[in-house]
Amino acid sequence: MGAARGLTDLTEREVGLFPEDEHLVPLEKGRSRRVGGWSGRRAWLVALVVAVVWALWSAGVGRRALVNPGGWTLMSRFWKAAVHPELSGAFLRTTWSATWTTIAFAVLGAALSVVIGCIGGVLTSETWWRRSRPGRAGAAHGVRPGWFAGRVLFGLPRGVHEAVWGLFLVHVLGRDPMVGVLAIAIPFGAITAKVYSELIDDSAQGPYDALRAAGAGRLSALVYAVFPRTLPDLVSYAFYRLECSVRSAVILGMIGAGGLGFQLSLSFQSLRYGEMWTLIYALVIVSALADLWGATLRRRGAPRLVRRSAAAGVVLVVASVVHLGPDLGRLVAGRTRSLLADLARDSWPPSLPAGGWAELGRQAVDTVQMSLLAIALASSLAILVAFVAARGGRTRARRLLATGARLLLLVTRAIPPPVWALLVLFVLFPGPLPGAVALGIYNFGILGRLTGEVVENLDPRPEAALRAIGAGGAQAFAYGVVPVAFARFAAYSLYRWEVAVRETVVVGVVGAGGLGRLLEQQRAAFDFNGMLGTVVALIVVSLVVDGISAWARRSLR
Amino acid sequence: MTLSRRRPRALVAVLALLVLAVAACGDDKPTTTAAGADGDATTTSTAAPDPNRVLKISAIPDQDPSKLTTINTAMAVYLSTALDRKVEYVPVTDYAASVSLFKTGDLDMVFFGGLTGVQARLQTPGAVLLAQRDIDDAFQTVFIANAGAKLAAVSDVKELAELKGKRFTFGSESSTSGRLMPEYFLDQAGLSSATDFSGPAGFSGSHDKTIDLVQAGTYDAGALNLQVWKKRKDAGTVDTTKVVELLVSPPYHDYHWMAGPDTDERFGAGFTARVSDALLALDYTNPTHAKLLDLYGAKKFIATSAGNYTEIEEIGRKLNLIAG
Repeated sequence: MGAARGLTDLTEREVGLFPEDEHLVPLEKGRSRRVGGWSGRRAWLVALVVAVVWALWSAGVGRRALVNPGGWTLMSRFWKAAVHPELSGAFLRTTWSATWTTIAFAVLGAALSVVIGCIGGVLTSETWWRRSRPGRAGAAHGVRPGWFAGRVLFGLPRGVHEAVWGLFLVHVLGRDPMVGVLAIAIPFGAITAKVYSELIDDSAQGPYDALRAAGAGRLSALVYAVFPRTLPDLVSYAFYRLECSVRSAVILGMIGAGGLGFQLSLSFQSLRYGEMWTLIYALVIVSALADLWGATLRRRGAPRLVRRSAAAGVVLVVASVVHLGPDLGRLVAGRTRSLLADLARDSWPPSLPAGGWAELGRQAVDTVQMSLLAIALASSLAILVAFVAARGGRTRARRLLATGARLLLLVTRAIPPPVWALLVLFVLFPGPLPGAVALGIYNFGILGRLTGEVVENLDPRPEAALRAIGAGGAQAFAYGVVPVAFARFAAYSLYRWEVAVRETVVVGVVGAGGLGRLLEQQRAAFDFNGMLGTVVALIVVSLVVDGISAWARRSLR
Repeated sequence: MTLSRRRPRALVAVLALLVLAVAACGDDKPTTTAAGADGDATTTSTAAPDPNRVLKISAIPDQDPSKLTTINTAMAVYLSTALDRKVEYVPVTDYAASVSLFKTGDLDMVFFGGLTGVQARLQTPGAVLLAQRDIDDAFQTVFIANAGAKLAAVSDVKELAELKGKRFTFGSESSTSGRLMPEYFLDQAGLSSATDFSGPAGFSGSHDKTIDLVQAGTYDAGALNLQVWKKRKDAGTVDTTKVVELLVSPPYHDYHWMAGPDTDERFGAGFTARVSDALLALDYTNPTHAKLLDLYGAKKFIATSAGNYTEIEEIGRKLNLIAG
């Protein structure tokens, strides 16, 4: 198994502030639950349907005109430009340099988040805080103040989207690449720390305890007993972070960090669709390479491949530093300190928006509804496409179809959500719906890929057994594949829902409402107290959603 | 077993390289700063100003970025000759970002709108007003509508009440002619953008986008900078059978150039005054100057003072566009 089990398990764990939910349930317990599990599943299904209908109703479906027929010409002009990308020498040079900027942001963001993850992973692991005598391990964990402080310190940054970090950081660091790098590294570092701490705790504790008992310090015990065993998983996860970083770097580019996202928003504002497509093709290529690299590591996970990838990663880090030339002096400059002090003074204490608690609550509900619609759309599409997109089709036609489906998924996740939002706005009237549809399309690209991997990694034996005893193709699929795949699909959809809640902040441009819209208004008015209040609300909403999602996943297991 | 014994070394090597790579950033700094001619925005000490420091100019992104690049590159060329300095145009993605980057000292002078100018002075105390265009002391907003929305052209702000129940879009949230003043005029017509439109009011992002979205029928009506509207009509890039003019608003003060408070410190004593003189010296009878002024839609630049924007500040505070 080793690294091959990879992403499937890792991303399921990458959730919430509720680590206790995520430890593997012993098999017996899981089985006994499943007997009575159907009523639990049905309850969740009913809740889901009710929630989605409620969200649709709030978005105005069935109550007012939603589709704008006048916008189809603009929309079709955009799609027609796909075959006429701008290929002039000057623009190709712009695209080339922008591509490297985006890669550099992604690489440095991911690298720094791995550094933060390594430190934070150790500091938030139970292994680190456990007393040296193994016998008392269970009794001690959870009450150690250091462990608790670590959990909180590394838990909070996750609730805030990279774009929001970027908006705050720009006030302190100004126009410097470190803004983009840190905006990725802070939230991603916190997520990495959580996953790494669980990898450390999940690794067999025997060798670690033995070294500790023999008098080794905590750090050397970790380095010699835990890290070698977990290294393939650590590296494999680092590359998963790189894939996510590429997408974040594009979004951050759109809000001013530079690179492909920045060029894309400039070209869109000028309605130069040919240029947009050149940039989109560059994005698709970068995103495909990052995804391919990560997926190969997860599938094969051979130690040599892991080592070579890590070495290549280091080379990329150095190249990225040279390309971006971040001014590290700024991090410690007196001006930065005084700007930070200004920001802290201006934003403390957090305050309510105009309209008070009622307004904040209304926007929070809008945010949740938008994310629900987005994820409902994304998972329905993803489930449809996952079986088509999975590798390993038996006929040539199947394989061709699978390639086409994977390409579709690649394009949908390579185009950043704000661009989808503006495109959708051509044909849908403004409101929460275009925002939800945009997030839905983008998350469909991500979910479709993850669920496709699930299908590829499915145990083929139940289906084969059913076929062997004479079941037809459809029957074997319905009874041999669907039940197993369903749990994984549900887990991924729930996990993606948590991410979608945070992503709602980047589609505020379309009048989508929600806390992201509110944050944007407050930013335009330089209402820092209000912004901090809204960010706190965003964190609370994402904690609540994480909690519901963890609860649902547990009862679906 | 040999593998697992090798892994710690590989790990240590990788970590060591990562640390080295991060440390190397520090070593890289002097070279990249020089190569990027990035100046050193972080030092505001009393050291003598660097004669090679690049003057960074910018403008709020109120219209098509390619047009902004044309206008501001022309201005950069003019200023670099007039001031004998390297001048660089730095594009930004949104209005608020231009105010923030002005505060952090990354932009030396910015062509702000009325509202962003007030915000910039509140964020950056001591900022200096340089000049405004002749058209800016009587700037106007135009209200437009999609022909299909069956809205009639009106002659008085009060008659904008006909927009009740329609889908309406502003430009950027921080725009003076596309948000602040339209909101103020709507208020005079007894409308509130929060409650009286069908659905929430939109924010297209820029004046050009407002035209496009009203033309596409995404919104029934919108409000924007009269100058951009005229330019688009002259250029023939708007379909006037689909978009109609409703009302041209009463005049108010708008765009102006502003320099940061430490400009003299960074570029030498008297530099701020030289920049403002250079702007005021633009003369329409000089053909080279006329070309630049045409890009700005102006005949000349004139002096301005903070007092011109008191009304804008009051409206901004009333509409919660200026906090505190």
